[in-house]
This record gives sequence, C-alpha cells and structure tokens, in this order.
Amino acid sequence: MAASNSFYDLYRHGSLGMTLTDALDELIENNSIAPQLAMKVLTQFDRVVAETLQERVKSRLTFKGSLDTYRFCDEVWTFLIRNVTFKMDGTQGTVVADKVKIVSCSAKRNDDK
Amino acid sequence: MSASNNHDTYEYQPGWPVPQLQNFVATVNLDCRIDLAYLSQRARNVEYRPRRFNAVIMRIRDPRTTALIFATGRMVITGAKTEALARLAARKHAYAVQKCGFNPKFRDFAVQNIIGSVNAGFHIRLEGLANRYFTVGAHYMPEIFPGLSFKQYLGSREDGTPRSNPTLLIFTTGKIVITGAKSEEDLRASFARAYPLLLDFRFDSDLKSKAQA
Repeated sequence: MAASNSFYDLYRHGSLGMTLTDALDELIENNSIAPQLAMKVLTQFDRVVAETLQERVKSRLTFKGSLDTYRFCDEVWTFLIRNVTFKMDGTQGTVVADKVKIVSCSAKRNDDK
Repeated sequence: MSASNNHDTYEYQPGWPVPQLQNFVATVNLDCRIDLAYLSQRARNVEYRPRRFNAVIMRIRDPRTTALIFATGRMVITGAKTEALARLAARKHAYAVQKCGFNPKFRDFAVQNIIGSVNAGFHIRLEGLANRYFTVGAHYMPEIFPGLSFKQYLGSREDGTPRSNPTLLIFTTGKIVITGAKSEEDLRASFARAYPLLLDFRFDSDLKSKAQA
C-alpha cells in the first residue's frame, strides 16, 4: 500500500481517482502544474476519500453469492464470489454479476490497530 | 453377569448404543521446506497470520477438511469423518502444495486423535457418577463445566503395545463425546467399558427413585 502516506492509496483506482489522475496528468503535460503538486493533490485525495467514507457515508450495500475462493495474507483479504446479487439501501433494483473479485484491506492501519 | 464390577469388560453387548465417529485428526510429513508467505499467495483458500500462528491454514471442500501447513513441511489435517477420508484429504492438500511449486512427499501419515459421539439414551445423574468414580478418572465441576469428564485407561494389548486412553465427556442429557482415541477400536472399547457404569445412574424423570437418591 502507500509508502510515504498514512492512508491507503487504493481509492485512486476507482472511477473518481482515475479521472483525477487523468486530469492531473494532462495539467502536467501542459506544464500548468508541477508533478510534485499533482502528488500532493493525490495524497490529499487519499486522505479526504478515506475520511469521508468513514465519517459521512451511511448507506449500506449488501450482496449475496457463492464463495468460490478466499485468501488472507499480508493482512489483505481476497475473495472470489460467483452469482452475486447486489442490493443498495436506497435503490430498489438489484445488480447481478457472474464473478466478483473483492480485495479488502483492514480499516485500521498497522499503527492504530 | 455383573458388568458394573468387572472393569476389564471391553466387550460390546447387543442393543447398546453405538458411537458415531465425527472427526479424525491426522498428521503427515511432506518432508520439504515450505515458504509459507509464498504458499499463502499462490494457493487458494488459505489464511496466513504469521504474528498469530506460524502456519498456513488451508481448507478444501471434498473431503471438507482444514490443514495446518508448517514451514518444516509437517501438516495436520482435521475434519475428516473416516481414516480413509483423512488420508485422501491429506493427499489433496499435499497436491495443492505441489501445484505451488514445492516438492512434497507423503511420509508417516498417522491418525493422532479420533472423536466420536453417542447418546446413552437416558439422562444421567452426574453427581452420583462422579462420587463413585472420582478415584479412577472421573472429574465433575458443574460450576466450571456442565459435563463430567471420565478418562478411560485401556492398558495394553496382548502383544504389549499400549492403547490410548480416551476421555468420555458425559452430559446430563445422556449425550456423550469421546475424544483422545488413537484407533476406532480404542474409541469403541472406551465406551463399552464406561457404558455399564452409567446404568446405575440412570435418571428417568418419571421415576420416584429420583427422590430417594
């Protein structure tokens, strides 16, 4: 996970994070901003997303399926689930998927376990 | 025949309840050094928490078993219902290890413990049972645990080989768990030995003898 940062950088791989990274890359190419600034922005993004999800997001997503495989090593859980149905707190409909891979890190980092 | 006085009776009587084998615990030596960190990343259905326990925990679905795999190459297999299934499961776990690039052998497979369960068919007065047999291995402390533990010392076979000493966990309901047996024969023998002793402490709630006890 993140080397110099005390927050996980995995949220950069979500839709929001990828779009931000793309935008920052474009600005760097135009020489509008320095690469160090982009790094600072991304680090700030890591912190804000982590905090916001923890403090301000209350809705729940539930899902059911068959567990195909599991793994726990280096404090990371990896699940492979088949025939999954997702349900969200607010919405009525469900989303289905044949195969879902879930990679999950501990909510508490090693310092404040 | 006064079976309750003869402590060397290991013979089954027809009509007695038969213990069901629930779990076999076995060990095998794969005889090769294993990099647990690597194994936990490549194999499926594994857990590895080195700070908590220094072994990889692997599970398979058929036979439904759990294996503890150590860096020395030793492995413990639990959960199988028969010795043959335990051996088969051990081979499947070993094959999984092999598929990760190691070179396991299959040395010294041995059953270490067999667990069985049985229902005496009647309720039991544990207090009375404990009073009579505490000098020969019965322990009953209801404030600590509701079951009476009764260790059966089976002695040796005719050829001198020692037998295991299974323990019976006896509950008021008449349900019994037998653990610590190294062979199915020992497990059944320990029950055959203890069952007649229980009959004196039968507890039928509609009998007035309860008031006399």
